[in-house]
Amino acid sequence: MFNALEVLQPNFIERPLNDLWRNISPLYSVDESQWLQQLLPLAEPTQGQLNASTNAATKLIEQVRKDDASMSMIDALLLEYSLDTKEGILLMCLAEALMRVPDKETADAFIKDRLSVADWASHAKNSESFFVNASTWGLMLTGKVVTMSEKQDGSPANLINRMVNRVSEPVIRQAMNQAMKIMGHQFVLGRSIKEALERGKSYRDKGYTYSFDMLGEAALTSADAQKYLDSYSQAIDSVGKDTYSKGHRPTISIKLSALHPRYEVGNEERVMTELFASVKGLIKQARALNVGITIDAEEADRLELSLKLFEKLYRDEGTQGWGLFGLVVQAYSKRCLPVLAWLAALAKEQGDRIPLRLVKGAYWDSEIKLCQQRGLNGYPVYTRKEATDVSYLACAKFLLSAHTRAHIFPQFASHNAHTIATIATMAEELGARTDEFEFQRLHGMGDALYNRLIKDKDVCVRIYAPVGSHKDLLPYLVRRLLENGANSSFVHRLVDARCPISELVGHPVMTLKGRKTLHNPNINLPKDMFSDRRNSYGPNIEIESQWFPFKEQVNAFMGPDVQWHAHPIVGGQNLTSDTIREVTSPYDRSQKVGEVQWGNKDIVDNAIEMAHGAYPRWSQTPADERAACLERFADLMEQHYAELVAICHREAGKTIQDSIDEVREAVDFCNYYALQARKNFGAPKTFTNYLGQEQQARMVGRGVFACISPWNFPLAIFAGQVVAALAAGNAVVCKAAEQTSIIAFRAVQLMHEAGIPGDVLHFLPGNGSTIGSPMTQHPLIAGLAFTGSTGTAQLINRTLASRGVGPVPVIAETGGQNAMIIDSTSLPEQVVRDAVRSAFASAGQRCSALRVMFVQEDIADRVIPMIAGAMKEQTVGLPYLHETDVGPVIDTKAQKVLLDHIEEMKSAGRLIAQTKLPEWADKGTFVAPIAFEISGIDQLKDEKFGPIMHVIRYKAKDLDKIIDTINQSGFGLTMGVHSRNESTCAHIARRARVGNLYINRDQVGAVVGVQPFGGQGLSGTGPKAGGPHYLPRFAKEQLL
Amino acid sequence: MTIVKPVQIQVANKVFEAWDKLGVKGRAQLLAQAAEKLQGAQAGMAKWQLQNAVAEIGDKLVLQGPTGESNELSTHGRGAFLCTSALDGNNAAVGLVGAVFAALVAGNPVITVGPTGQAIMDLIANHVPNGVIQNVAESVQDSIIDDIELAGVAILCEPEQANELTQRLAQKAGLLCQLVNETDVENLGTIAAPHFILRFVTEQTITTNTTAIGGNATLLELGSSAE
Repeated sequence: MFNALEVLQPNFIERPLNDLWRNISPLYSVDESQWLQQLLPLAEPTQGQLNASTNAATKLIEQVRKDDASMSMIDALLLEYSLDTKEGILLMCLAEALMRVPDKETADAFIKDRLSVADWASHAKNSESFFVNASTWGLMLTGKVVTMSEKQDGSPANLINRMVNRVSEPVIRQAMNQAMKIMGHQFVLGRSIKEALERGKSYRDKGYTYSFDMLGEAALTSADAQKYLDSYSQAIDSVGKDTYSKGHRPTISIKLSALHPRYEVGNEERVMTELFASVKGLIKQARALNVGITIDAEEADRLELSLKLFEKLYRDEGTQGWGLFGLVVQAYSKRCLPVLAWLAALAKEQGDRIPLRLVKGAYWDSEIKLCQQRGLNGYPVYTRKEATDVSYLACAKFLLSAHTRAHIFPQFASHNAHTIATIATMAEELGARTDEFEFQRLHGMGDALYNRLIKDKDVCVRIYAPVGSHKDLLPYLVRRLLENGANSSFVHRLVDARCPISELVGHPVMTLKGRKTLHNPNINLPKDMFSDRRNSYGPNIEIESQWFPFKEQVNAFMGPDVQWHAHPIVGGQNLTSDTIREVTSPYDRSQKVGEVQWGNKDIVDNAIEMAHGAYPRWSQTPADERAACLERFADLMEQHYAELVAICHREAGKTIQDSIDEVREAVDFCNYYALQARKNFGAPKTFTNYLGQEQQARMVGRGVFACISPWNFPLAIFAGQVVAALAAGNAVVCKAAEQTSIIAFRAVQLMHEAGIPGDVLHFLPGNGSTIGSPMTQHPLIAGLAFTGSTGTAQLINRTLASRGVGPVPVIAETGGQNAMIIDSTSLPEQVVRDAVRSAFASAGQRCSALRVMFVQEDIADRVIPMIAGAMKEQTVGLPYLHETDVGPVIDTKAQKVLLDHIEEMKSAGRLIAQTKLPEWADKGTFVAPIAFEISGIDQLKDEKFGPIMHVIRYKAKDLDKIIDTINQSGFGLTMGVHSRNESTCAHIARRARVGNLYINRDQVGAVVGVQPFGGQGLSGTGPKAGGPHYLPRFAKEQLL
Repeated sequence: MTIVKPVQIQVANKVFEAWDKLGVKGRAQLLAQAAEKLQGAQAGMAKWQLQNAVAEIGDKLVLQGPTGESNELSTHGRGAFLCTSALDGNNAAVGLVGAVFAALVAGNPVITVGPTGQAIMDLIANHVPNGVIQNVAESVQDSIIDDIELAGVAILCEPEQANELTQRLAQKAGLLCQLVNETDVENLGTIAAPHFILRFVTEQTITTNTTAIGGNATLLELGSSAE
């Protein structure tokens, strides 16, 4: 960790750029408290500075609050409809989705859904703002109807219900759309740059200038990226032709994710060539017209990539000597300060000043959520608001220092009166002239504050203004509010007269130092996310400081010299046999991974008998000891992370993230089942029996459990079954799929190393006839866990039953015909992203993968081409490369079944799109992702376990028929739903007979203990793996 | 050859969704009225099954996960269940009552068999929607058992009978039909155990991305709270 205070030394930015670059990445998830200790001295004011900034801020707020007319429309709206009220959230949800709903039926249902559960009446007269009341009016529609019937109807929620039911739906819909248009008008400066320039005149007369942005969703297709590129180009053209003569010239802000469908670290090569070319074109145009360009900041994962691209563009001859090419940096990022230092050094080296907008950051919630989901080792952002404010001031001090401001033109974007006052004070102290920096604010926010500042100081204030159609922009802006909780921000409290000024002018350094800990103890690190067990860890492959060392560790196992030799393990000993099978990589059959010696009937019999002998001892081993073995195994897997990932690549053809997720899931199974074992298999439980007497019940293992697992989750499912059976007190004989025996062999070795006795756990590699058959015929098998096809489950069940030794538990997880239902309130960009991941991630070889997408016909013509466009951007290739989205399918047999189905569909359905295969694809077993439109689910006979998606259009009124047909298929594993209408989601959830239902997200990647996984009907027997009822099925419940 | 589906299975399938939708507590409330009509150990067993079901699976389980999403685990019935006893005697009758109440409260439509079944059905039928419990003559039992849509069989029987039934059910196509057998009629060691109810249920996890429709209120609270 570098010493933060050093940045204040003028020669700091004279260090070699590479040295400064190396300071950035390690701070990605640095210990927050330690790093803040470094930052605090930079932001710490002297008593004099503190007094000055507090006084300045107090004065500013007093003046703002006196000036009633200066509260902006959006400020007023957020004050009335705070996002911590149900109504606020519902209003924003309506704004987010209503305008894109093309069909009346769905729009009416959506309005009814949103309006019927909130208390709109209570907001009707609270706000003085015309805008707020206009919105409320729109929401209430006919306030008089409500008032008149209040006595009869009781609570306001009932009134609205009655109102919605009473007044004709078209009238309500019209009024709602009108209300949304009013909101759109407030959030968006203009539908075109021309309109924005026209509307912006009055502010420019006051001394403001603008940075315009054609904000919107990230592009998922090349066509969308081209559309955004064209609109940026037109915007530059319009601004270039602007003739307004006073004040500073407006600039254009650019969102890189809108200009390339794969603006991701994994696609660095494309970003540095294709996206580079697009932005270079814009720079050339903008420079000719003297229109400055600012690159917007996005998610933390893309920071390093964005800086690399920025550097390449900045150093390009087309940019050299310009000085109006800038970027945005977020102060909530722990990496902010070293990023600024690197940029200052870059600017110093080239000699062109970099305009730099310092923002606090707008993706805070999403960043926290992502890190928790991915089990990362920390957060890239601060977990307290005041810590971000401290970082902001520390960075501001660096930016305003004489040695930095000579190279960087700081643009401070904030709506916080204290921040603004402190920066103004700081600038004076550091001798920065008012033309050496500027302030920025969002359109519609902070009017009051900046109107006052502009009057008092001769400083440039730039308004960041969204431009575009209300229909496109309002949803985007509102979703950002929804996703990132703007109500906690200063804007909300500034205009809320109930909030004392003294609370608004506290210095963040003092506030932060007043806390018991510098980090927020209420937001646990991802590893501590669960209160009762440790979360599994995953490295972040988007971040250099984590990805490079991890990749190096994995590479140590990727060379041809590294080979694995798997054997049957019986009684803790590796056995040899005559049947030796070579293992090659599914992506290149010429590459050998190792070999596996298969077992045979004698080995199976011997193992089962030995297990049977060991069972009583293991069953009586305290549950706590058994659980500890599982936890040690989990730790060992994390110690051998790189090797296990390498085997996932080489033996199973798994991509990098899939391989990481595989190890994580296996680790999670161990920790979760260890917890469950301690909870349920420890001391007997006392209960009152049906005769009213106190009785005790205890859970004990059943004997020898057989575990038969598939190749698609060769470590996770394999380990999950085995450790569950062991935790419950059974001895285990296990057979992995013959395609993926090496990783299972390594797992069993690690289990033994973790303390599972050799006679308790036996590994029996081979295929169904050599191992599966003698195993399931053996009379000593007391239970079986199986994951695989429905047909094989039936066969196994018959074999077990035919032994004539009585019924034993069969826990089967089988196939699915998984659907996703998409209605017209859903957000197409989100749908497409989730559908593509659900259908094609892991080459569609997940039990949960999407097979049949039902899309409401009213939006089908928008969604289907987007899916086609997004599929074209997928990369099929070598699974160990970062750029690869889709790896190979497991073997030739699987490939043939899929290719046969594709041939059949080519005549039975309509081809939507097919991803390109690499030229060398025939070295392995690849199937290109493909999508077909078909007329009904009955065209599909059974599940096709690969990257094939089927799309069916449906009418809104036929939703129930759709659910019926899905239910009638007999399968019931996963289902996805995309709808903003909560009533629709709840209705589908009530009716769909599926094991796992995912709402407004993808439908793959169930997390152990969080999303217990398993289906019903033809999809499996239950109980769910990774759920609280799983272990009891491996056990006998004895009444004592 | 056309296979005629027994009408009882058709009826059970028809009423299944509505019955399941009532939830454990809703069903327990209805069934409690029927349990009141039973006497002695049968009444005790019926009531205990209802209480146990409410305790074990009565509430949706909210599972802790990442911020910005909700995860709930609930249980549902599996579908039509045949509940029968191949054994006579008081304990067997008590056990059968236990199996019927457990199967019903878990959300399954139930088909009982013969005069013993009829007696149980008569007590329950008035308190539950039509078709939720049906009774068939012993002669029809085989056609019910062989139907591929039958979700499970709960039976009190001798171990050999359980064996035979296991083999028979395994021969069927379609879903793996569950066999819930009690061979310890003296102690009712399976039926009277707390986890017995789990044999009649299937589980559903619902995962909702809450940030999509309404923001991440929990995190917001955590982020802005003091200590």
